Amino acid sequence: MSRLVPLPVVVPLLGAALTLLLAAWPRAQRAVSVTCLAATLAVAVALLVQTYRQGPIVAEVGGWPAPVGIVLVADQLAALMLVVSAAVTLCVLLYSIGQRQWETGTTATPVAIFHPTYLVLTAGVTNAFLAGDLFNLFVGFEILLAASFVLITLGGTETRIRTGSTYVVVNVLSSMTFLTAVGLVYAATGTVNMAQLASRLDALPDGVRLSLQLMLLVAFGVKAAVFPLSAWLPDSYPTAPAPVTAVFAGLLTKVGVYAIIRTETLLFPDGRVAGLLMVVAGLTMLIGILGAVAQSDMKRLFSFTLVSHIGYMIFGVALSTVAGLSGSIFYVVHHITIQTTLFLVAGLVEVRAGSTDLRRIGGLSRVAPLIGVLFFVSAMNLAGIPPFSGFLGKLGLFQAGVAVGGVLPAVLVAAGALTSLLTLYVASRVWNVAFWRAPRLDTREPTVRLPALMVGATVALVVLGLTLTVVAGPIFDVTADAAADLLDRTPYVRAVYPEGTP
Amino acid sequence: MSGPSLVLVVFVGVLVACGVTLLLERSLTRILLGIILLGNGVNLLILLGGRSGAPPVVGAAPTAEMSDVLPQAMVLTAIVITFGLTAFLLAVSYRSWYLTGDDEVPDDIEDRQVVRLAERNEAPTTDLGGEGSGGDPEQVDPGLARRRDRGAEGPG
Amino acid sequence: MLVLLILHLVAALVAPSLVRRWGPRACYPLALAPAAAFGWALARTPAVAHGGAVVETYPWIRQLGLDLALRMTTLSWLMTLLVGGVGALVLVYSARYFGPGSLGVGRYAAVLVGFAGAMLLLVLADDLLLLYVGWELTTIFSYLLIGHSTERRSSRWAAAQALTVTTLGGLAMLVGFVMLGEHAGTYRWSELSAARLPDGATLVTAVLLILVGALSKSAVLPFSAWLPAAMAAPTPVSAYLHAAAMVKAGVYLIGLLAPVLAVVGPWRPVVTVAGLVTMVVAGWAALRQTDLKLLLAYGTVSQLGLLVVVVGAGTPEAALAGVAMLLAHALFKAGLFLVVGIIDHGAGTRDLRELSGLGGRAPLLATVAVLAAASMAGLPPLLGFVAKESIFAAFLDQPVVLAGLVAGTALTVAYSARFVWGAFGGRPGLAPTDVGRIAVPMLAPPAVLAGVGLIAGPAAGLLDGALRPYAELSGPLGSHLALWHGLNPALALSALAVAGGAALFALRGPLAPVLARLHVPVTGNQGYEWVIGRFDRLAIEVTGATQRGSLPQYLGTILLAVVVVPGGSLLTTRPWQEPIALWDTPFQVVVVAVVCVAAVLAVGARRRLTAMLLVGVTGYGSALLFMLFGAPDLALTQFLVETATIAVFVLVLRRLPRRFSVRPLRRSRWVRRAIGVVAGLVAAGLAVAAGTARTAPAVSDEFPEAAVTEGYGRNVVNVTLVDIRAWDTMGELAVLVVAATGVASLVFLRGRTGPRPRRPDPSAGPEQPGQGVWLRGGSTLSERRRSLVLEVVTRLIFHTVVVFSLFLLFSGHNAPGGGFSGGLVAGLALAVRYLAGGRDELAEAAPVSAGVVLGAGLGVSVGAGVVALLVGAPVLSSTKVDLWLPLIGDFYVVTSLFFDVGVYLVVVGLVLDILRSLGAEVDRHIEAAGRAGGLTVDRAEEGS
Repeated sequence: MSRLVPLPVVVPLLGAALTLLLAAWPRAQRAVSVTCLAATLAVAVALLVQTYRQGPIVAEVGGWPAPVGIVLVADQLAALMLVVSAAVTLCVLLYSIGQRQWETGTTATPVAIFHPTYLVLTAGVTNAFLAGDLFNLFVGFEILLAASFVLITLGGTETRIRTGSTYVVVNVLSSMTFLTAVGLVYAATGTVNMAQLASRLDALPDGVRLSLQLMLLVAFGVKAAVFPLSAWLPDSYPTAPAPVTAVFAGLLTKVGVYAIIRTETLLFPDGRVAGLLMVVAGLTMLIGILGAVAQSDMKRLFSFTLVSHIGYMIFGVALSTVAGLSGSIFYVVHHITIQTTLFLVAGLVEVRAGSTDLRRIGGLSRVAPLIGVLFFVSAMNLAGIPPFSGFLGKLGLFQAGVAVGGVLPAVLVAAGALTSLLTLYVASRVWNVAFWRAPRLDTREPTVRLPALMVGATVALVVLGLTLTVVAGPIFDVTADAAADLLDRTPYVRAVYPEGTP
Repeated sequence: MSGPSLVLVVFVGVLVACGVTLLLERSLTRILLGIILLGNGVNLLILLGGRSGAPPVVGAAPTAEMSDVLPQAMVLTAIVITFGLTAFLLAVSYRSWYLTGDDEVPDDIEDRQVVRLAERNEAPTTDLGGEGSGGDPEQVDPGLARRRDRGAEGPG
Repeated sequence: MLVLLILHLVAALVAPSLVRRWGPRACYPLALAPAAAFGWALARTPAVAHGGAVVETYPWIRQLGLDLALRMTTLSWLMTLLVGGVGALVLVYSARYFGPGSLGVGRYAAVLVGFAGAMLLLVLADDLLLLYVGWELTTIFSYLLIGHSTERRSSRWAAAQALTVTTLGGLAMLVGFVMLGEHAGTYRWSELSAARLPDGATLVTAVLLILVGALSKSAVLPFSAWLPAAMAAPTPVSAYLHAAAMVKAGVYLIGLLAPVLAVVGPWRPVVTVAGLVTMVVAGWAALRQTDLKLLLAYGTVSQLGLLVVVVGAGTPEAALAGVAMLLAHALFKAGLFLVVGIIDHGAGTRDLRELSGLGGRAPLLATVAVLAAASMAGLPPLLGFVAKESIFAAFLDQPVVLAGLVAGTALTVAYSARFVWGAFGGRPGLAPTDVGRIAVPMLAPPAVLAGVGLIAGPAAGLLDGALRPYAELSGPLGSHLALWHGLNPALALSALAVAGGAALFALRGPLAPVLARLHVPVTGNQGYEWVIGRFDRLAIEVTGATQRGSLPQYLGTILLAVVVVPGGSLLTTRPWQEPIALWDTPFQVVVVAVVCVAAVLAVGARRRLTAMLLVGVTGYGSALLFMLFGAPDLALTQFLVETATIAVFVLVLRRLPRRFSVRPLRRSRWVRRAIGVVAGLVAAGLAVAAGTARTAPAVSDEFPEAAVTEGYGRNVVNVTLVDIRAWDTMGELAVLVVAATGVASLVFLRGRTGPRPRRPDPSAGPEQPGQGVWLRGGSTLSERRRSLVLEVVTRLIFHTVVVFSLFLLFSGHNAPGGGFSGGLVAGLALAVRYLAGGRDELAEAAPVSAGVVLGAGLGVSVGAGVVALLVGAPVLSSTKVDLWLPLIGDFYVVTSLFFDVGVYLVVVGLVLDILRSLGAEVDRHIEAAGRAGGLTVDRAEEGS
């Protein structure tokens, strides 16, 4: 079984190598990419089933036992993340193939950019999920960041270069912070193996331990776009090509959230920063959604809702109860799917109406009913309208918050409810303007027939979102299990060190 | 363990300080130089996490006196990654110069629009295609309107 | 019951296609879904008649206590009948209401049926969370229905308003539910009502939150504004949502919870005050309306206020009277709306100033309307009368409330009269209005509703029997419904109310100025608009403050976070008190001093080249420090990387302006320096604090032995890179590959994705050949200007260097070197070759595409890992292979060497790629610029 664990990283990397070698044959490239991601998805599903049945699976890379070598650990949380991210990346890949803008855009370059980069991005994400070693987690982040740098500047137009620079520099800085933190952790403990750190960090003097924890939090906070470290996101994401924005919005921030969940539970379990986390969670929700209200472009607006809803996940983490974590994890799963879907729909709108600027478009529900349906369902899902998954995740968090009791959680629940209302408010505003008012398009020759593959991929994702509602019961069982395992750290640690931590 | 020696700590501090100062500039070249300085500082900081000693080549020196290997491996990885990113950022600043004539990172346009809105007291809803009921005489009496555009709602 | 819900869902899904095929007539078959619900409930009457319940439960989400728990008791039975019955009638009515050609009927039908389903879920749910699901679904569907004529701004706005207001209440209610449920451990109302309630504060908060939800849904003050606005909806929608079904949801919820929660402190005051005020104010407003539909709308608000008071009272008598009124109101109000729809449909207007003499023209319609209106006014022998009688009887003990109720009823009588008179009365000097002939499917539904109201009055006894079980939940029930209770105070009060209402109507002329002047100063809509306006303003302000769009500010924020948060906690550890050695070797001091000076100068440097070289000094300096630290591999790599970095810089800087532009950053300069200094201090402090905190041994102490015994190499660093931590290295390769790809992608942009031609701008000055480009030789190094000497030297050393790089690669396992250093050396050789001979020389030196080299490198490294996996070993595990070759004899190869070869290839590929793009391709740009003369590079680019 542990044979499977490295595959979600190795397969996409091999695919990247192949697509580089096949640069001259776009069709072959596409075949390779799709096959690799499909295989990754299959492996991820297998891993999820296994971890659910028999607990975390550990792979010792190169046969080097921990803590000497690097271990990859697939527990339920990691496996669940793998499944969702693989599914989403696959859909987005198909969508982008449908869009074909890469092939046309980059014919002049010696290496066909998109497919290798995209595969490397996937590998980075999966590596981050599987890493059982702090420094390797850093490497995983570097992989996905480097790939994202290339993707966000794809096409190299003036806007993309401008926003891309912001994105790159901010993320390089956060990586530097992360790297420093890793170095300091090693300096203080003499190891970077997470399972071993779990016990060695406990032994450190409080001040040092707290500094390390906060340092990591800041680093991940930037990647997860937690207020006040979030301002870079709405500037950089919306200008990228639709599929890129979609996969960024869906996955990259969640990797940050995942890292926060992992470190806060495994390395720094005593909820000492819970108060801080709750405050920033509340601010993230409210400031984010206010930002969305102030926007007049669909993509930017959804970038702000993205930031805002990160607050929900942080809230669940801050509660550090099984219910809270479980809610967070479910919300992550939901949000990955829905945010990606919304950006894909925005992409369809752009193709159809020539723009996503609310000042320029209108009447799409008459002009393009299918897009209308896709958008409405997704938007309502994001706004947490029952019975969609957004509602279920929110409900889980509310229940957790109320169960914990106390002033701060109560305030957070209120903030969460308000955020949900405002999300609905902006969603209805977009709907009223872009879909209901008298038709107007921002292009002379509108594309009436949308590429089938684009629509198909979007529909697939919408359906995936609805499935989350239908099978919410089993998923919540998994997330609750995962949360319980995270909170008492022994399953993870024992999986890495069957006979006691050295 | 005694920990790192002061002079190296000073090295780290100074490089980080200078790096950060450059990082806060607007010219991509300067930002990049800042990143490199910062990187050099951080690399040494990581190295300080392990003990110094003889080169870690088995046979050349007794194992006990060897310098710590793991930080070296980490730093080596970091160095090479930084190199890759440096090359990429240089390409970005070249592209930026190629398109705009300089390599500076200007403010985000859409954000500035909102900021301007905030400074002038303007009604935001006007952005949104005049959404909002503002002075619509038919607020609650669509009947009258319907006589104008019959067929919009069936009867007639 | 689940079957019914599914039936509605299916009907909703097929509706659009049916309408597409049959037009509005498709509403007939669709009406079967709600009709089925009605029939089913009717058939189940015996089961609930004596306080029994029909229960169905299916598990859904155990973890959240959210199951498909359905339960029909008396109250929900009544609601099911209403929802199903009225729903079916309205659909029948819609079949003719919409003209064949009218837009959006498909969506309309689908949403209406969906709404019926959601409403059914709401009233049948036992699980409060499930009830909330139905609740929000009705909100969403009503949003879509109110906004039916989408292209009229008023209806869009009204739809959004209804959505926002009711969702606000809904969310508050949800939180209330959660508070109750988390305390009781269940969300089933059937269990909750039996469970122990939480203590004071929690309970009060929960109850208040739930009431907010109920009142907002039922458009009771202060949440009434959305309902009159919602009259933008098609009339059948108003008849269904705003008379019979959705607005009753709030009343239903209050009725459901009252038997248990009415005892809680704030419950009775809130429902009574809010209800009475609503009843009176809205009743008064109804008298001022000229649009018949609006008149009914305000009437509905008023009546909802009444229902809230009565149903919320929580006494058995009031409960019985309340449900009777609930039924009565649904019957007459839905009927009246449908009547207005017919008039509107026929006459094209609903304005009572434009209508005249309809009574004579459409006697049947008039009869129906009069029957319904009479029931609304509470005249015998109609159901409205029965209900009102029992209401008065139920409140005899509370004089204040009673007074309010009577006053409200008087207003009700008045506006009922006004309605009849307005719709059917004659106007002197106004031609009789013609409504044409009224289609049976349109007249039948209101007739049926009015008829039921007529029959139910005398048959109140039957009704009493059916409804008692609900009332008895609140305690032993004294009263019962009947048409005739004999001469009693209640009768007197009704008489009084009727008289008062009649007087109000009679005196409408004299009262007109009073009516005109006396009204709420701010209408609900103005209030709502004001709130929304303020709120959007706030959003703009906050966003303008937090989202400045400036990169330095973003970085500053992050750095401040680093400095303040971890740095702050650093203060508690006091690293400056740690005793640490000054230096290891004096030479360190020299190096550090030089480096620090260089770094500080680099910050101030105005010329790009200077700054870059100074930074280079720090790079070489740290290489020296690595050496002194005992890290030769690191030093070697750092040295090579620094050199390569400088080379790449030179390639780019030859194009950029010579100096940094002087920006007006002076004022912020000190801020930046301050941040820098503090960040440096924090970094240093953390380094000390962490370094001195170490107690445990480093895991890497075991590395040297492991390297020899299992890694088969003596250079521990190299073994670590290619074996022990090969996984990191693999990731690192991915980064390099992608970075290289990115460089190419940015430089090799042409044609479509290239920049559009722009007018030459002053800032584009320096790039003209000759002036401003400071590295002249490199700028255009064409065949005629290559230097022979350099070329010869390069030719001589090139292959030697490449061989040396291979030596580094192969010996790396046991001595300093390895894939990285080897690859970099080879790369530098290529760089020299390019600098000496230009791009053609480069092409000659490396005739393969960079992409292929990169791909091959990554493939080899990852492949090495996969091979191990395939033969059953852990991924990336290595082994020793003993070989023998002539001349060399016995030797061994460690399989991790292949991995290192991959590293070598990737590094070479990276450098090659950089030279290709930032070197050769940029040369092309330069030449293009040269050819294009005065034009900007962009224009020239277009040409090339």
